[in-house]
Amino acid sequence: MSRTLVMDSFLLADAESVVARARAGDAAALEAIYRAFEPPVYNLARRICRSVEDAEDVLQETFFEVCRSIRTFRAEGSLWGWIRTIAASKALMRLRRNKYRDTDELHDEVVAFRREDVGLRMDLEAALERLSDTARAVVWLHDVEGYTHDEIAALMGKTTSFSKSQLARAHQRLRRWLGEEAVA
Amino acid sequence: MSAHLSLEQLLELREPGVEPGTAEARAHLDGCAACAEEFRRLEQRAARLRALPSLRPSRDHWRAVQARLDAERRRRRVRWAGVGSVALAASLLAAVVVRDLAAPAPLEASTELGSVMAQSRMLEEAIRAYGPEARVVDGYTATVAGELEERIARLDRELESSQFLEDAERQDVMVQLWRERVGLLDALVDVHLASASNVGL
Repeated sequence: MSRTLVMDSFLLADAESVVARARAGDAAALEAIYRAFEPPVYNLARRICRSVEDAEDVLQETFFEVCRSIRTFRAEGSLWGWIRTIAASKALMRLRRNKYRDTDELHDEVVAFRREDVGLRMDLEAALERLSDTARAVVWLHDVEGYTHDEIAALMGKTTSFSKSQLARAHQRLRRWLGEEAVA
Repeated sequence: MSAHLSLEQLLELREPGVEPGTAEARAHLDGCAACAEEFRRLEQRAARLRALPSLRPSRDHWRAVQARLDAERRRRRVRWAGVGSVALAASLLAAVVVRDLAAPAPLEASTELGSVMAQSRMLEEAIRAYGPEARVVDGYTATVAGELEERIARLDRELESSQFLEDAERQDVMVQLWRERVGLLDALVDVHLASASNVGL
């Protein structure tokens, strides 16, 4: 059984029956799905988005879409996998819409300006927050959510090698900011 | 392979499947303590990321999601009922005009009816162009917009039943109902404009 299918039964008891009722338009079943998957959806959104407000908007947009489209969900798949892809897609869309300062040039300027930080051991949360939006999204989707580079590329509308290079850059920076010694 | 593995190569070793050069890199990793240590740190970093505390929203958002779903359902109903009543009223108006041409009578009421219907259409188009269903709104805006849409839906039902009235009073009633509809749509536009200005759009 895949990790996402395990998540379904872990988060939502009797998931099959709840989904069947939700597909028939049962409001209580839709709310049960929201209650079960709100925490992981919000966590994903908050880790990808820059602000609490954006993450909360993504949470609302995700469940609005889930409730509207539950009839199209194929019951043999993982409910969490389906919801998570909607959430990731909405979060990435939000990043694009906000057009945050996300170029490597700008990012490197900031790093150079705050050079005094180098050598200090940063907290992992702070280091993650400090990554560029794209790098943070890639590292989260790949290392935490378990998406493959092909899947991330499809979600972002980029190439697989773009996803790989973003992950490598993210790890280079995390390694430096966390004060871990590089060998190579 | 004598040089140490690059970060890209180490990352590649974590991927499922066999990429070109992976076997060679794997062999190097098995025999190089420094690269093995770097690989272990990489794995640890990913494990630490997965172990970060789960973040929770500060408030419950289910009611806001529900409000959006309800608003969309009402909007769909209003749209269909609106389209139906516009078509109905247009055909009635055409019938009135034809009748009036056949038996000349004052055209003020039918002219006014055409005018308020045009205003209603214009406001509906403005709301449709704004696309409220694709926007995130606060709970207050969703509630007020929902109430207005509910009242418009009720008016549309009244408009549909007004066709059964006697000719003499039908036009006056319809003009009155369409005026009310324009007023409600106008208020709905204001609600959306206020909401948009609050979020700086």
